[in-house]
Formats: sequence, structure tokens, C-alpha cells
Amino acid sequence: MTVSPITVCVTGAAGQISYSLLSMLAAGNVFGPEQPVTLHLLEIPPALPALAGVVMELLDGAYPLLHSVTQTADPSIAFADADIAVLVGAFPRRAGMERKDLLQKNLPIFKRQAHALNEHASKHVKVVVVGNPANTNAMVLAAFAPDIPRANISALTRLDHNRTMAQVAARLDVPVQSVAGVCIWGNHSSTQYPDITRATVDNAPVFDKLGGFEIVARDFIPTIQKRGAEVIKARGFSSAMSAASAIADHLRSWVCGEDHIVSMAVPSDGSYGIKEGVFFSFPVRCMGDGVVEIVKGIEIDEFSKRYIDATAEELYAEREEALALLE
Amino acid sequence: MLRSSLTSATRRGLSAAAAEPPTKKVAVTGAAGAIGYAMLMRIASGQMFGPHVPVELQLLETEQGLKPLKGVAMEIKDGAFPLVRGITQTADPNTGFGDADVAVLVGARPRGPGMERADLMNANAAIFAVQGKAINDAAKKDVRVLVVGNPANTNALVAAANAPDIDPAQFMAMTRLDQNRAMGQVAIKTGTPVRDVERVVIWGNHSSTQYPDLSNALVNGKPALDVINDTKWVREEFIPRVQKRGAEIIGARGASSATSAASAAIDHIHDLYVGSGDAWQSLAIRSDGSYGMDKDIWYSVPCRCPGDGVYERVLDIPSPDEYSAAMMDATRKELLEERDAVKHLLPAATRKQAGTKPARKKRAKKATA
Repeated sequence: MTVSPITVCVTGAAGQISYSLLSMLAAGNVFGPEQPVTLHLLEIPPALPALAGVVMELLDGAYPLLHSVTQTADPSIAFADADIAVLVGAFPRRAGMERKDLLQKNLPIFKRQAHALNEHASKHVKVVVVGNPANTNAMVLAAFAPDIPRANISALTRLDHNRTMAQVAARLDVPVQSVAGVCIWGNHSSTQYPDITRATVDNAPVFDKLGGFEIVARDFIPTIQKRGAEVIKARGFSSAMSAASAIADHLRSWVCGEDHIVSMAVPSDGSYGIKEGVFFSFPVRCMGDGVVEIVKGIEIDEFSKRYIDATAEELYAEREEALALLE
Repeated sequence: MLRSSLTSATRRGLSAAAAEPPTKKVAVTGAAGAIGYAMLMRIASGQMFGPHVPVELQLLETEQGLKPLKGVAMEIKDGAFPLVRGITQTADPNTGFGDADVAVLVGARPRGPGMERADLMNANAAIFAVQGKAINDAAKKDVRVLVVGNPANTNALVAAANAPDIDPAQFMAMTRLDQNRAMGQVAIKTGTPVRDVERVVIWGNHSSTQYPDLSNALVNGKPALDVINDTKWVREEFIPRVQKRGAEIIGARGASSATSAASAAIDHIHDLYVGSGDAWQSLAIRSDGSYGMDKDIWYSVPCRCPGDGVYERVLDIPSPDEYSAAMMDATRKELLEERDAVKHLLPAATRKQAGTKPARKKRAKKATA
């Protein structure tokens, strides 16, 4: 094999999402059957024994494309020469925690990781933030990793995007690959806006068929928002598999390009009136090799504008809180 | 530029219906468990049959498993996988195995507290008898069945015995996990990428009596035993480690090896259908007397997989040395004991007891070349 391995760092590597993601990475499902992968796995010290078990299983997979595996609690080792960083690990929300508390716990984590990435990762590293609050964690990361181009940092909203595709497909009883035109705006939180106003099936608009604005507000948006909780209610565990699949999709689209418009939380550039300084999920075109373009010129109807403004306001508030806490 | 041959066009499936291969119906039992969970995502993303082959997932669980199964099905839908053409969730074996091309039998009764080995064998024989019968009645006649749930080899035997219209050669038990584990250990020991490790064989039962055999193994084309040059390591570290790896994983993870087991099942079926050329793959299949083995036990042997569901035993193999012969014999004996333990639950035995002669059933097309 003449292709050199791509170094992928995954944090929170002993957790449920990583458990699903790592076999996808090792088996060549993300970057393709010709691309070997080196994995750098980062955990907090108490999770190192469990991580050792995860690494044993990776070895037991005899994956031809898995070049090597490093396991560590040291970010400078984990991020060394990383081409890709998947930041799954974050301080989880506990019962009774306010957003401010969640931010307070996560800011130091992402600040420290930002320094380590800036110092040790490849100059061209691409970073996807999964751990919540994803958008604001990404913003903090960008603020403290000045040598990483902002365009090389993103947060995950692909799970919400995929869920939206699945809901449209289910409601119209069509194959999911015939669905297009959906996107996620804003924050990966309860204010996210799953936009189906331009949804198509086999290129034919279906927004009216889906029930128009009323259905979106009353039914569709709450369904997408509550999907995670529904999965937990049924499975008893959170949605690791679909989250991992979304991360794989996000990375594949970002690095290898994508035919269809997808959703990613990227640095806002003023498009659609969203102020700069936040990571906002937009409909994007992935041209390949990390080049991502926000789809411009979409006419935003009044209904959608309300949702987009609300999620933007939340992100501005998170940004203010984060900056205040960092002082 | 990092381009992937797994282009987005591939990811989203071929647009022209004419170019699309036929959909494969895959039945998975124990689908809401950890191994099923790990396996289903990879099946849905095209890793079992290849990136262009659409799949229909038929998920079988116990009644208690139907609720978590609902969550699993939600997640598969939320994966927006273009290759998934349908999902069935059921506790009814005939529905679960209906028209299946492939059945992966993961679900089995685990050992509970105070359970003797005989109890475990009986409990599972009951489950696999029902499944064998349902596969016989409902699945496609050329179905391939991979038994993962333990005791895998004997469960495969029981299932096949209850599927008289299906060639028993179509029922296999999984030792690919053991093979992959063994290859991983050799890779580390020799400092070689695992893709350059070949012809590692697992003989016998998927249990602690399995024999991970390096006699024919190659590392970068050279005999592995020469490269390793350490018989003590092979016999006292390598073999026990592979045999007991499952327990080692549980000790480290606090949970059993779901992801690697799922990966092995994917590998087994993938190589069977897509083919793996000259490579040797370990499959626990019904012994036909080859290798001087008793017939009618499910014993893991090396095979080549040319593709399309076919396997061919590797017969051009030197006679085992004394050590190997003894190891192969020990696991053979265990399989004979296991078969004896369930004999009274097999249909032929039942008919014999009732004093009637077994009816001659026409065998389906043979799986082996």
C-alpha cells in the first residue's frame, strides 16, 4: 500500500459513540477502502483501563487498513500530527445543570485541547466538535487555536440532518436517498431549526405534502428535537450508532466531497444576517479536501426567519456567557 | 487531495435502477443486543456485501427485546443509509427468517448463575431447534446461516438438524473472531501489519479448546513459525491468549467483545459472498470426514472463498505434527461430547425413539464447490 496513513484523533475514545465510530474508521468506511488510518485515542485517566479494552478489540478486528493505534490521557500525544480530530469527549450534562454550569465545565477542556491542537497537530488538521455544547465548544476551540484556520473547525449537526431526511422519507414513504433540500440551521440544541421548506423527493417539492408551516411547527420540529430522547426511552441507552454514523458522514463529506447539500456548523460569515463569531449550522456544499461553502442566496421566509433568529440569539448568548466565564 | 473511492455517488447508491444488484435480505437474531447493534450499522453502510448492494434488515428478538429493538430500528433510520431498503422488527421466527438470503444467529441463552453446562446446552438447543425449523420453512432455500451465539458449533448442528430441506453445508458457526484475534497477536509479535499475516487457522470448537494453528501461517510470505522462532511463546502465550481472549476483553472493558465479534461476522459473510481469493478463512462447518475428522460435527477448518456464498476446504495441507494432532483431537472430543449432550433433542433421535423411519428428504443444491 503506497498511500500514507491519515492520523485521526478521537477524544472520549472509550465512550459509546466512539465504540461505534472506531470500527467504521478502522474498516475504511469513512475515508475509503484505499486509505490506511492511524488512530490516536484520548481519554481521561479514570477511563484508561476501559480504553485498553477498546484497543484490544481494535487489534482483534485484524483491520487491514488500521496502521497503528495510540492510547493516552495526554492531549499532546493524542493530537501529535493529527490530520483529523474528532472531539467527542465533553463534560456531560447532569441533572439540575444549567447551561452556564455546562459551559463552565467544558470551557477549560476545550481551551486545553485548543492549545494542544495548535501546538502538536498537523497544520492542516480538520476538527469536528461533537461534545456538547458543540457549537460553543467549537467557538472556544477556534479562539484558543489561532494557527488553525477557522474553516478547518466545525461542529456536528449531521445527525439532526440525517434524522430530518429520515423523517421526511418516513412520512412520505419514500427511500431516504430520494430526499434532498433539507438542512439544519443554528445551534445543536433544542433551538435547532430543521428546515424542510425546500425539501424535495426525486427533485419535486414536498413541503406542502408534508403539511406546510403548521405541521413543521406543531409536529415535525418537536419530533426531530425529541428524537434523541425517544431513542433513549426505547433502547435504554443514548443514540451512539446513529451519532457515530453521522460523524462518519460529516468527515467523509468534508474530506472527500459530497454531491448533495448537507449541514455543518461552521464559522458564520455574515450570511443570512448571522453575526460573525459563532459556529452556526448552515446548508453547505462540500467540494472535497476540506473546502466547504455555505449555500448563499436562499430566500428565507418569515416563518423560518423566526426560528433562525431564535437559534442565533441563543448562540450569541452562549458566546457572551463563554467569554465572560473565560475572563 | 484526499479522495475516496467511496465517493458520494456510491454513498447515495446508484441512481440507475438497472445497474443495481438485487437486494439481499439479512436476518439477524438478538438484534437488539450489543453484537447486533455493532453489526447492523456496518451492514446498513454496505460493508457486508459491498457498497452497491442494497439490503433489507429482518431483525428478530425475544418478546422482551422488542422495545429496545424499536430504538435500534429508529437509529438505523436516523442513519439515512441509502442501501437500506426496509427494516422488519419481529419476535416471530417465521417472519424474521422470511425469504432471507443470509441469517446471522447472534441471540443465544447466556450462562446464568448456577447453570450447569448441560443446562446451557439444553436451553440453547431448544432455541436453535426452533430457529432451524423456521429457517427451513421460511428462508430462501439457498440461505447461508452463520451461528454466532454460543455454544456456536453445536447450535449450528442443532439448527441444521432441524432444517431437513436445507443442505447442512449452508449452516456455519463463526470462528472468524478467533482467527482475527490470532492474526492480531501474530502481527504484534512480529511487528508486521496484520494485512501481511496469512494462513492462520482455527481448528475445532469456538471455545477454549480451539486450536489456533500457525503451522501454515505466513508473515510477509515467510513461515510465521520461523519468523517468530519461539515455540514456547506459541504454545504458552499465543495459544492460551487467543483461546481466552473473550474473558480478557470482559476483564478490561467490563463488557464482552461486541464490536470485534460483529466485525468478524461481517468479515465472514463478506468474504463468503464477495470472495477473498486465495486467502484462508476459518469456518466451522459440518465435517464431511475431511482431515480424518468424525462426520457430522461442526468443526472449524481452513477454507478458500471464491465468492457467491461458496467455500472450499483447504485440503492441500501437510499432515499435522504431533502437537497439532493432539490439539486438534482435544477439540474434536469436546465437540463429540457436546453433540452427545444434545442428541436426544435432534429430530432423527426423536423419530428413532418413536420407532418410525426417517423420511428421505431431497437435499437442496450443495453449498460447496
